[in-house]
Amino acid sequence: MTVSAEATAEARAAAGSPRRATGRAGFLQVVRVIWLREVLIYFRDRPRMISAFTMPVIMLVMFGEGLGNSIAQLPGDIGYRQFIFPGMVAMIVLMNSVFSGVSIVTDRQFGFLREILVAPVSRTAICIGKISGGATVALVNGAVMFAIAPILGIDITIEVVAKLLPLIALVSFMLTGLGVALGSRLRSVESFQMLSQVAIFPAMFLSGIFFPINNVPAWMDVLVKINPVTYAVAPIREIALSEQLAAVPADAPFQITHVEWFGYTLSTWEELGVVLVFGALMLTIAIRAIRTTE
Amino acid sequence: MSAAACAQGGRGRKVEGMPSAVEVSGLTRRFGEITAVDGVSFDVGEAEIFGFLGPNGAGKTTTISMLCTLLRPTAGSAAIGGCDIVADPAGVRREIGIVFQDSTVDERLTARENLVFHGELFGMARDDIRPRAGQLLERVGLDERADDTVITFSGGMRRRLEVARGLMHWPSVLFLDEPTVGLDPQTRRSLWAYARSMRETEGVTIFLTTHYMDEAEACDRVAVMDHGRIIALDTPDRLKARLGGDVVSIAGPDNEALAREVRESFEIEPRMENEAVEFNVEQGGDFVPVLLARLNGEVRSVGIRAPTLEDVFVSLTGHQIREQAFSEEDKMRSMQRMGFRRMR
Repeated sequence: MTVSAEATAEARAAAGSPRRATGRAGFLQVVRVIWLREVLIYFRDRPRMISAFTMPVIMLVMFGEGLGNSIAQLPGDIGYRQFIFPGMVAMIVLMNSVFSGVSIVTDRQFGFLREILVAPVSRTAICIGKISGGATVALVNGAVMFAIAPILGIDITIEVVAKLLPLIALVSFMLTGLGVALGSRLRSVESFQMLSQVAIFPAMFLSGIFFPINNVPAWMDVLVKINPVTYAVAPIREIALSEQLAAVPADAPFQITHVEWFGYTLSTWEELGVVLVFGALMLTIAIRAIRTTE
Repeated sequence: MSAAACAQGGRGRKVEGMPSAVEVSGLTRRFGEITAVDGVSFDVGEAEIFGFLGPNGAGKTTTISMLCTLLRPTAGSAAIGGCDIVADPAGVRREIGIVFQDSTVDERLTARENLVFHGELFGMARDDIRPRAGQLLERVGLDERADDTVITFSGGMRRRLEVARGLMHWPSVLFLDEPTVGLDPQTRRSLWAYARSMRETEGVTIFLTTHYMDEAEACDRVAVMDHGRIIALDTPDRLKARLGGDVVSIAGPDNEALAREVRESFEIEPRMENEAVEFNVEQGGDFVPVLLARLNGEVRSVGIRAPTLEDVFVSLTGHQIREQAFSEEDKMRSMQRMGFRRMR
């Protein structure tokens, strides 16, 4: 167009064209880089790391000691603190997963989401990267709970922990998916706070984290059973307490865990099936939401 | 057209005549009743610095959004580096770097991490990413702060980082949407120096929108935009030359009367600007003594200056670029645009 334009084009050719070809980033490369960012950000945010633990640990100790003594003994002589420990692990996983997923709201508010979305990459890969990042963070948090369990006076064996970790990975994947699905619809951090008041906290309390799910009034029973988080908490508890649960007599007034559908008792595997189906559903919704975000 | 073919067409273009980095034809975007961009057509050459000048709501950002494939055009077509914006958005996105109006860097990552992240997302080869990031950070003067998190950066530093990031994947066109809004004059100047040096060394085309006149002056060519249309497109010098001569302004107690006298005695159509009567004449210095000798009304001050792009804008549109009263349509247009931005 102009003299200088031609001059620079020549200069560029003389310099052997400093530009390099760029390809399309591979699916896994995108997943990896989005995952890496989530994890990096998490480990840089010390206050978030600390606060993620304090609440469940405080609840475990205070409720375990304070409430535990006033609560009628659970069938099979399971201590209340022992009972809520798996619940607290589930709570940590739930909080971290959902919050990580929902961090997409902050990404949007600070504009960074746009940087990701203008890149010529698969939206599905972005979504899976985001979810695996959040799931990793949740898994790390859950694992730390197991590491400090002996200090808190909880009986747990390495063998049980080894079984629980993959389970927690699955659960956190599902819950992060839920977070991303929610987060991609929200426009502001404030609306997320509102949502956590009306949806996430009730879902947490109605999932059997604090009390046995089969010993509640009928109206609550319905809410507990349509709550997807229930199906994530139950397997964690069943594995964590497998030894103690085996000692519960079959004719106990109520069973501590295992979701019952109209008299049919779900096995741990069936509960995991529900988690898997719900997780797949959330993943689909999250991917669709990211795809349609402009 | 396949992505690979169009990418090649963009990169190694050595065709006869003038190579175009951006080709736009009849591009239109409507938001319901409002036509934000109304059939604009233009070409931008390789390694050109091309500016869109116009007030807020003129359709600059909407046009850029369409060229960056963030918004689908209602009608018309455009190609960047040979890639069609509708048929091959992924190809277009590889060809372009974008610096948005509002910041899009991740402030919890370091400057270097922001660039590396971008390189990975744009499929750069592993071996290229770190050297390229280091080179660009040095180029924009951030090498000493490269490993600090962006949250500690000033507005100007963030802007420089965004420019570096936009250039990371060797785009052929760098889009800058109001790049220097809210920056101090010194930072603005240095940002321009970086942009120019990138053009010199890499031959990147720079396409920017602005409503600052001095910024438009620095462009190779300027498209003046108003109400969704391009009303003039030329080099700043030629745009100003169109006005002819100098701008003379006179002011007195009764400007209306002075304007009438100028109109009747010299057959010049004056404008009322800045509480003064302004008009363009050849050889303003020679004209003023004649003018003063002939005018009957009292004149308290006289000014002569070379025309600016602001004058060009005023003469083309009949209103000033700043402080202009928004018409209802402009207001709607600007609201639409903001709504659209929030959506993302």
